[in-house]
Amino acid sequence: MTQPALAAHGVAMTFGVVPVLRNVEFELWPGSLVAISGVNGSGKSTLVKIFAGLLRPTSGSVAVFGTSQARRRVGLVSHQSFLYPRLTAAENLEFYATLYGLGDPRERAMRWLARIGLEGFADYRVRTISRGNEQRLALARALIGDPDLVIMDEPFTALDADGVSLAKDLIKASLARGAAVLITAHGTDALAGLDFELYDLRAGRLERRRVERIAG
Amino acid sequence: MSAFAAILRKDLRLELRSGESTIAMVALSILILVVVVFALSQAGARGTEAAAGALWIALLFSGMVGATRALGAERENGCIAGLLIAPVDRATLYLAKLAAALVFMAVAEIAAVILMVLFFNLSFDSGLLRMVPILALGLLGFAALAIMLAAIAGHTRLGDLTLPMLAVPIYVPALIAGVKASAVLLGGAPFGAAWTWIRILIAFDVIYTVAGYLLFEHVMAEQA
Repeated sequence: MTQPALAAHGVAMTFGVVPVLRNVEFELWPGSLVAISGVNGSGKSTLVKIFAGLLRPTSGSVAVFGTSQARRRVGLVSHQSFLYPRLTAAENLEFYATLYGLGDPRERAMRWLARIGLEGFADYRVRTISRGNEQRLALARALIGDPDLVIMDEPFTALDADGVSLAKDLIKASLARGAAVLITAHGTDALAGLDFELYDLRAGRLERRRVERIAG
Repeated sequence: MSAFAAILRKDLRLELRSGESTIAMVALSILILVVVVFALSQAGARGTEAAAGALWIALLFSGMVGATRALGAERENGCIAGLLIAPVDRATLYLAKLAAALVFMAVAEIAAVILMVLFFNLSFDSGLLRMVPILALGLLGFAALAIMLAAIAGHTRLGDLTLPMLAVPIYVPALIAGVKASAVLLGGAPFGAAWTWIRILIAFDVIYTVAGYLLFEHVMAEQA
């Protein structure tokens, strides 16, 4: 193991005159799970967007596997699902599988639909399915290319107990194949049963708290 | 399937299901042509130059609807971010969006040409066929410009309202050239008679297609 999956050095972000992130130093290594907790408005989503390459920080640098051009290796679950409401569940996954250059995108889409328990919704347009099922689909969209770095911004949002269990299974599967996983959450209750490092984001500063395992 | 083909197919599929862009563009074209034809009938000036002017005004404004919608669909559910984090280079994204906008605009343009012929008492003859390359050049130039500007407009405070303010002044040279070339051909003159104007259209297309191809990366840098 020669380089971290994600490395951030001196990352700061300011919106107008309001500082959101201050001098963030962070490393995430393959096969490890890190959770970042923080209250609403603490800058978690901004940090996630910067890590995923969707925002440029005001200062500092972010590297994914040592480069700033590693989009193929990143899977992102965000507050928004990135799913086209007028496309069906299968069409959405097939579309993203094609963008990621995966072989037989239709077959892969159907396989992922079965994996998230939505094979019966393959031909349903996304705008007609429930928010919880849309979130399951968003998880599949992010993970369909087996990314080496998985970034999840509050991934358990809108999921019921089965959905949370499914999401954790997907996280474990990603870790098992050596991917690095970063999760943001308000709290750590939903992470029960997982080993993770915990960081707090307070007033724009990222501070490591401890390594923990919550019984689950 | 390539990323270009996937994005284009997705955009066409979305448009086939909603029809939003095409219906709005055709409706706007009809409205503009009706208004112009009534205005000019009062003045007694319904010649080929007036017909060409009406057609290109319809192209301009319906094209703005098409360009806005081509990127607007990506803003639902934050899909634009899904595209931006995917391993697709921005130039490919630009070309796919340009192709999709061209298809929508071409449909509206065909409807506008038919209406122009009917409203201005012109005939469906070879003059119309000779206008096809001129209209194609006009559509390409406008789509190339408008897609890039729509991406910029999308993250300004005024949003899509910014597009006409940016696009119309820049498009004026191509608009004049298109109107003049179309009027020459509708008047029955040979294709060569419009060559001066066609060269302006070609130059405009080259400049703005290349500019869009090269600059889209920077324009889209922080769309998410």
